[in-house]
Amino acid sequence: MTELPLQFRCGLAAQREAGRVLGIIWIIPIAWLMRFFMKYRIKDVKDLRRRYRKLISETQAPILICPNHLTMVDSAVIAWALGGSWWYLFRYSRMPWNIPEYSNFSFLWFLGLGAWITKCIPVVRGGSREDVSRVIKKIDYLLRKGDTALIFAEAGRSRTGKIQVHNHAQAVGRILTTVPECQALCVYMRGDQQDTWSTAPKRGDSIYLDFEVFKPQSTFSGMRRSRDIAQQVVAHIADMEGRYFASRK
Amino acid sequence: MSREDVFQKVMGIIKPFVKNEEVFQQADESTNILQDLKVNSARLVDIILNFEDEFDVEVEDEDADSVNTVGDAVSLIMEKLSV
Repeated sequence: MTELPLQFRCGLAAQREAGRVLGIIWIIPIAWLMRFFMKYRIKDVKDLRRRYRKLISETQAPILICPNHLTMVDSAVIAWALGGSWWYLFRYSRMPWNIPEYSNFSFLWFLGLGAWITKCIPVVRGGSREDVSRVIKKIDYLLRKGDTALIFAEAGRSRTGKIQVHNHAQAVGRILTTVPECQALCVYMRGDQQDTWSTAPKRGDSIYLDFEVFKPQSTFSGMRRSRDIAQQVVAHIADMEGRYFASRK
Repeated sequence: MSREDVFQKVMGIIKPFVKNEEVFQQADESTNILQDLKVNSARLVDIILNFEDEFDVEVEDEDADSVNTVGDAVSLIMEKLSV
């Protein structure tokens, strides 16, 4: 993959440092909002964070978090569930970068500023291929630098409430193909009251979350390889979903 | 293979994914695949993989980044065929 131009590297460094300096005024409040206002509860959160922190401490490989996608706040809930708010203040590079849809916050300037501070790299879905490619190259660069990123394995929130194995995000396969040693951290998350897709989990919901490291292999090359890998990641999360529902019977 | 032949085959491959039939009927090389023909962006990957099968070429992700219009697709295939 071609090197990211200097101006983008400088821009990302500025964005990262601004977010780090202001971390105390956004990481903790967002976590408290989820915990005390929305009253979300993560099941087995202590064990979950212990496992995640152990994984982080034991690996030098870049980590791309690849969750299922049911609500618009999934990325915030996942970040909070995995790391906990205080932990990120001291390991800021592990606060995942996100690629939200630009139109979700572009209509108000302060939402755009907020997204910038909170490690978001906006993407215009259905936009020009060059713009989408530029965003992927930024994530590629950040992962190589040792940051963590989150890209939903599904291309959009599932309209059925279950993993849509044919609706995979090609970017996941592309990044896992191009970033050396990059690991996919497959995440399955679902609130007890989450029947289908929504804006956010219901207030007071108890949320199940589990993760597994997955290293897809492919014998294909070119775009076919990226697609194969993206499909494998979605299939793995679908398998996690199957086990989740089986365990509830 | 001439550019016109490639264009016709490309249009045939794109057709099943098109949501704006009216624009498709009058499409030329300047027609934007996503914005004018309203092809779902996720389906663009399927289209390009179909190009690979049809023309027996291999396309990298970065090559596909340059494909916005029908003409871009034709140019990419012509370039691959000439290698």
